[in-house]
Amino acid sequence: MEEKMSDLSSYIGFDLPTLEVNLIDPQKMKTMAALLRDPYPVHWDQNANESLGFGNRVINQGPLNLSYIANMLMEWQGPTCIKRLKAKFLKPVFDGETVVAGGKVLDVLEESSSRILCQIWLSRGDEIVLTGEAEIIVTKEETD
Amino acid sequence: MIVSEEEMLDLRGYKFPGGVRTVEHWENWLLTDCTTGQQLPDNLVHPIALFHVPIQGSGCSISELFSLVRVQGAGSVGLDGYDWEYFHPLKEDVPYLCEGEVIDVQRVKTDNGKIYDRFVFSIDLLNESDLLIARVTNHWRLWRKR
Repeated sequence: MEEKMSDLSSYIGFDLPTLEVNLIDPQKMKTMAALLRDPYPVHWDQNANESLGFGNRVINQGPLNLSYIANMLMEWQGPTCIKRLKAKFLKPVFDGETVVAGGKVLDVLEESSSRILCQIWLSRGDEIVLTGEAEIIVTKEETD
Repeated sequence: MIVSEEEMLDLRGYKFPGGVRTVEHWENWLLTDCTTGQQLPDNLVHPIALFHVPIQGSGCSISELFSLVRVQGAGSVGLDGYDWEYFHPLKEDVPYLCEGEVIDVQRVKTDNGKIYDRFVFSIDLLNESDLLIARVTNHWRLWRKR
């Protein structure tokens, strides 16, 4: 049975629609490094990571890992929905890997502005590589 | 790199030079493309711009930050966490005043003998009317002994 979630409290416990990012592209890391003017070689020089025991793979930028979660949130509630992102980085993500951005509604922070609190995460298989919280404004009704 | 604890603690309260940063369309387009996401409507800047725009806008760069905290080489620095607040959406071609400082430094010795510095800095973005648009607080981990 389909039920409209017009009451904000009914969002609590709701699993956000996930977003999968397939086969992370090292070329995008290079463009990102140039935009950030980031001199850290782990994002663009495969040889730099051999000494760290990561083989010849490059490490995705932390902001890019978080961007997949931002994209997941914006696909759900629109491009201006994000009011706060708190992220803790647990594990590196490498080129060629596939990750999934997900989340769950934890609480209603303010009824008048439709502001809710979500737990957020990025996973690689069964492993959580990034976790945190997001505060977002709900503008679209969800069906469950 | 060996850096004394006193040198690091002296960085508390260090203010970045400050400055103004504008995100142009080409930069926002490439940034959004890197995220694999769809381009945003209405000249909205992708929210992930809050990593590099405040740093560069405050008159600094990632390279200069690395020099300030005395790290170099692969594996010397890691991200502990971010706390980014969006009070108003960021738009392309709008100049944002960026001002910030180092708000905390702590030397941490782990149970297994490793040493790192927890380095925290915060930067505000304001528009030309002094309206606070966004605030970032970033936590970095600077490895001294692994």
